[in-house]
Amino acid sequence: MIKLERVSFELGGRSIVNDVSFHMQPGAFAALAGGNGAGKSTLLKLIMGLYKPGGGAISIDGTPTAGKKVSALAKTAGFLFQNPDRQIFGSTVREELGFGLEQLGVSAQETAIRVDETIALLGLDASLAPMSLSRGERQRLALAGLFARRPKILLLDEPTTGLDYRECMQMMNSVAALNHAEGTTVLMVTHDMEIALDFAPRLLVLADGRLTGDGETRVVMRDEELLRRASLMPAQMVALSARLGIAAGVADDWESMAEWVSRKRAGRGETEL
Amino acid sequence: MTGLLDYQPGDSPLHKAHPLVKLLMAVSLCAGGFLAGALWINAAILAIIIIGGVLCGMARQVKSTLKGVGSLCVVLFILQLPFIKSGRVFVSLPLGMRITGDGLRFCAQLCLRLIGATLPLVILFGVTKLSDLTNTLVSQMGIPYRFAFVLTTAIRFIPVLLGEMRDTIEAQTARGVELDLGVWRKVKLIPPLCVPLLVSCVQRMENNALAAELRGFYFRTRTSGYRRYPLTAPDGAWITACALLLAVTVIM
Repeated sequence: MIKLERVSFELGGRSIVNDVSFHMQPGAFAALAGGNGAGKSTLLKLIMGLYKPGGGAISIDGTPTAGKKVSALAKTAGFLFQNPDRQIFGSTVREELGFGLEQLGVSAQETAIRVDETIALLGLDASLAPMSLSRGERQRLALAGLFARRPKILLLDEPTTGLDYRECMQMMNSVAALNHAEGTTVLMVTHDMEIALDFAPRLLVLADGRLTGDGETRVVMRDEELLRRASLMPAQMVALSARLGIAAGVADDWESMAEWVSRKRAGRGETEL
Repeated sequence: MTGLLDYQPGDSPLHKAHPLVKLLMAVSLCAGGFLAGALWINAAILAIIIIGGVLCGMARQVKSTLKGVGSLCVVLFILQLPFIKSGRVFVSLPLGMRITGDGLRFCAQLCLRLIGATLPLVILFGVTKLSDLTNTLVSQMGIPYRFAFVLTTAIRFIPVLLGEMRDTIEAQTARGVELDLGVWRKVKLIPPLCVPLLVSCVQRMENNALAAELRGFYFRTRTSGYRRYPLTAPDGAWITACALLLAVTVIM
């Protein structure tokens, strides 16, 4: 479980994160959204121990992270950076995947097994050179590097930035698979509200370093004023649903909206959409 | 917040000085430090630099430079001191090493020179826009634009590369890399730290080179810059001060 209690952080005399408190149960999947400079990535780095909070406390599985080395926290949590090229250096995909395990002191035999499992799960080609992969494939390789370590928590910093639709879906389906199959807790920073709606049942909204919204994604997205203050727009289907006066959660995706329209038309005696 | 080598906007006399005059001042202060024979002259030059920096509103940059270079100076001081055997002996150490008056003077001067050579450059880049420096180097010194551009771009890249290095270290520590280990482990960590940095540098250089070329980099000549940089009376005073400083350091 991730727990933040009144966490604050300043950089160069400027408050970046201000009095943020929330907790996430094991296996939960939440999106963290907000405008540029809202403090989203900083909050993720605070949880990972890359930055030390100026005030408040962060704990993972009941253990405070204060005073813990990042390398020790890396046994529990994995961090996916926006730019995968900051961490990729291996000459093959296999070597790249094994590196994180080697750092954690996993035996060579166990490393080989875990790397094979990861390659099979995420559909990677073990013999390819990482730098010959596309941006989306490199991002998935970085995610695979995290998955091979079997962290209980995944912290994803805008994992879909710069990816086309196909790559984006591959990436997010991989994350969702880890969340469902392994019960991995996922906290994902994103600007993409469509992705947040499709994959994250919970949405946290950050504005000027403060947590201004926290709740079920479909419900939080209905709060136009909250989103406007955070420089966000709701997902298209949520906006349409709200415009049509449909209650939250009834028709917030394509399928439920199509069903709702069908029901309405059937009620009026119309047979075709 | 501005970085160590970033331009710090201001209205001080140094900010208003001609870019080449500021370059001359920085070079004079560095050269003065190395030409000075007496320790007190080095101390005086350093005091002038620190006061000048603070008056330009660069107290934070001066402090962080003193802190950074100061740590290096402490190491150099300790490493150098026992090996200078001339002069009055204060303390005798094992293996024939000793702490002498000449050793203390030499090491103190070495540190003052090192700090005195670094600080003027930090202040120069803090009070001078790199574009102004490039323009004057091209239009008034006759340096080909591509060389002036390379020089100023290299300087501009230092904080960028430091940021890249910091991000790479963060990315690798988040994967479980421990940096505070023995020498052998550190050697093994060179590829994970250096390869991403090199890749990002090459990518950045390629992108910047393409962007510059697409914006007509090779069409630029000595007369292309529209901004003029006339020398003023205060610039004359600064040049005189530089000449005096160098004369004092040579004579004394």
